[in-house]
Amino acid sequence: MTPSILIIALLLLSFIAYQLGKARSLAVVGGARGIRNLHSLPGHYGLLTALWCGLPALLVVLVWVAVQDQVLIALISAQLPPEVRSLSSDQFVLFLNDLRNVVAGNIPASQVSPATAAAAGEYLRLQGIARLALTALAFALGIVAMLVVRGRIRADLRARNSVERVLEGMLFLCSLVAVLTTIGIILSVVFEATRFFGIVPAQDFLFGTKWSPQMAIRADQVGSSGAFGAVPLFAGTLLISAIAMLVAVPIGLFSAIYLAEYAPSKVRSVVKPLLEVLAGVPTVVYGFFAVTTVGPLLRTAGESMGLSVAGESALAAGLVMGIMIIPFVSSLADDMITAVPQSLRDGAYALGATRSETIKQVVLRAALPGIVGGVLLAISRAIGETMIVVMAAGLAANLTANPLEAVTTVTVQIVTLLVGDQEFDSPKTLAAFALGLVLFIVTLVLNVIALYVVRKYREQYE
Amino acid sequence: MNDAAKTTIGTITVAEPVFSCRNVDVYYGDKHAIKNVNIDIGRKQVLAMIGPSGCGKSTFLRCLNRMNDTIVGARVEGAITLDGQDIHDKRQDVVQLRARVGMVFQKPNPFPKSIYENVAYGPRIHGLAANRGELDEIVNQSLRRAGLWEEVKDRLNQPGTSLSGGQQQRLCIARTIAVNPEVILMDEPCSALDPIATARIEDLIDELRESYAICIVTHSMQQAARVSQRTAYFHLGDLVEVGDTNLIFTNPQAKLTEDYITGRFG
Ligand SMILES: Nc1ncnc2c1ncn2[C@@H]1O[C@H](COP(=O)(O)OP(=O)(O)O)[C@@H](O)[C@H]1O
Ligand SMILES: [Mg+2]
Repeated sequence: MTPSILIIALLLLSFIAYQLGKARSLAVVGGARGIRNLHSLPGHYGLLTALWCGLPALLVVLVWVAVQDQVLIALISAQLPPEVRSLSSDQFVLFLNDLRNVVAGNIPASQVSPATAAAAGEYLRLQGIARLALTALAFALGIVAMLVVRGRIRADLRARNSVERVLEGMLFLCSLVAVLTTIGIILSVVFEATRFFGIVPAQDFLFGTKWSPQMAIRADQVGSSGAFGAVPLFAGTLLISAIAMLVAVPIGLFSAIYLAEYAPSKVRSVVKPLLEVLAGVPTVVYGFFAVTTVGPLLRTAGESMGLSVAGESALAAGLVMGIMIIPFVSSLADDMITAVPQSLRDGAYALGATRSETIKQVVLRAALPGIVGGVLLAISRAIGETMIVVMAAGLAANLTANPLEAVTTVTVQIVTLLVGDQEFDSPKTLAAFALGLVLFIVTLVLNVIALYVVRKYREQYE
Repeated sequence: MNDAAKTTIGTITVAEPVFSCRNVDVYYGDKHAIKNVNIDIGRKQVLAMIGPSGCGKSTFLRCLNRMNDTIVGARVEGAITLDGQDIHDKRQDVVQLRARVGMVFQKPNPFPKSIYENVAYGPRIHGLAANRGELDEIVNQSLRRAGLWEEVKDRLNQPGTSLSGGQQQRLCIARTIAVNPEVILMDEPCSALDPIATARIEDLIDELRESYAICIVTHSMQQAARVSQRTAYFHLGDLVEVGDTNLIFTNPQAKLTEDYITGRFG
């Protein structure tokens, strides 16, 4: 059996084990009427039997699947003819490649050297034997475990506790996968970034003002130290994010105040979902909007006022990004404002405060920490946003504070550095990881601060 | 509801009332929460309002400073006069009214500001102080009268929420008297406090009575007996009986009042 069919078969076997265990537990106490004498529910005994039957056997299968290629290759290498064994290591890798292709059926055996064809035949033979052995082993394990557990079912067997421990372990494994993946990603970024900093000094990268990674491709120009100065990228990111926040914070905050404090419930029930729809628009659509509508609009507007606006201006990207972030700010601010207890508003009204005084001086004051936290989260989104800027912000690494010029951002450069064929150890490619690391650290810090502030604020009114 | 309960037993009038309420009805949508209530509220004395939960004590209290205006669907009918002027009159500014009729709530609700700013808030929005010195003086006086000055004089810049529950409630009282009202409304001001904090507030109410008219809603019969001179008993939106606290507690006229104060329901 191939491993995948084997796994399905084992699942079926476990199902049988479940039924057996369940029936056995009932039989032990003399049928459904004796169920109160059982320590656990019949289903728990069934699950316990099924788990014992299935898990060890599955584990064996998975381990074999993971190691089988290495084991088989090692076995074959030991009995290869001398002319193959005397190959240089590069050629041996090629030989193995051919071998694998033949085994997988990508290349007919007739197209490769007889030695390779013979080795492939041997590989397939060994694999067949191994599969047979594996099938036998897995079934034996499963059936033996099933029978042993079934035989040990007594009324006082604490099946529920065991089952719950196993399930808890599985849940733990799942969360471990998520955490380990994250750690793995971080480590790989850190590792590649360190390699980059081995080539380009960190201070040149962090404080250099000239960014032109293309030059580094030609070997004779590597080391022109100005090439990887990331300051223009940081500045561009900041400029666009600042424009975005200038749009998103006032509009988002004011619409939240309107929705939470002024809007009749009918208006609220229409406007709030609409704002949340804005949040669901894919960012590529916003980018599209920026390129085809906002950019040209700004250009014509600029021309009519005698200003020259670049086709891909920071302003266009920032404006559209701001619009994208509005619902984010407004829905967070709305949550914070509605979380302010009514008793505070009553207190202000009872002192003779007007509605706007109450909102300005009491409600917003109380919601401020939460709103600040929300804005920080929004900034970290703006900094990490990629699609809009890739489409609308351009590639020119200008160091400028003029929003009408084209700038580029960290995320845009990461994309351009990695798109297309790359050597994975050129500084140009590695620079992407260094940029990624900076981006990661900045957004992480922002998020941690923001979450801390928001949590702190939530506690205050519990 | 039988007809007998609809006429209030006892003396509803007082000499020179600060508030005079006639035929007051309150509706929440279709719900008739206050039914034809007539009562005067006297100067420099404490009126206690008692009655089972949901009988409309808070609703009636909120009529007096028009806090019911802030509740969607609430409707108040009838005549309520403050010093002879109708508080529902078009010329009556609700901001002015609330400056004259202060309110203390069940749960202490200090603003998320410093102790000083909590007390200074009312005077600021009503422009009661011409300069910082005057404001300091108002804050100082209000905290003293609320019996809180000694405890907070060294920490005026700390947040009001950093105080204990009882201190917070006295801060709210200080905040209310800082705008120099004529009447102070209190809605179960001690129900969230421990007995010691409660005793302090009761002492404070007794002192404040010398300058203000006070209406207090309370669930504690002992508290009503201790702090008030007049008591009003509400039942299902009706004002059943009103009179001298001594008389109400020793010799209630209405059967409902007697049942309530002897603890037969509540
Ligand atoms: N905002 C409101 N909307 C609708 N009904 C209310 C509202 N506030 C109070 N009520 C109703 O009015 C009645 C009187 O309430 P309330 O004045 O709070 O009673 P009390 O303070 O005596 O316990 C109750 O039946 C209550 O359910
Ligand atoms: Mg109440």
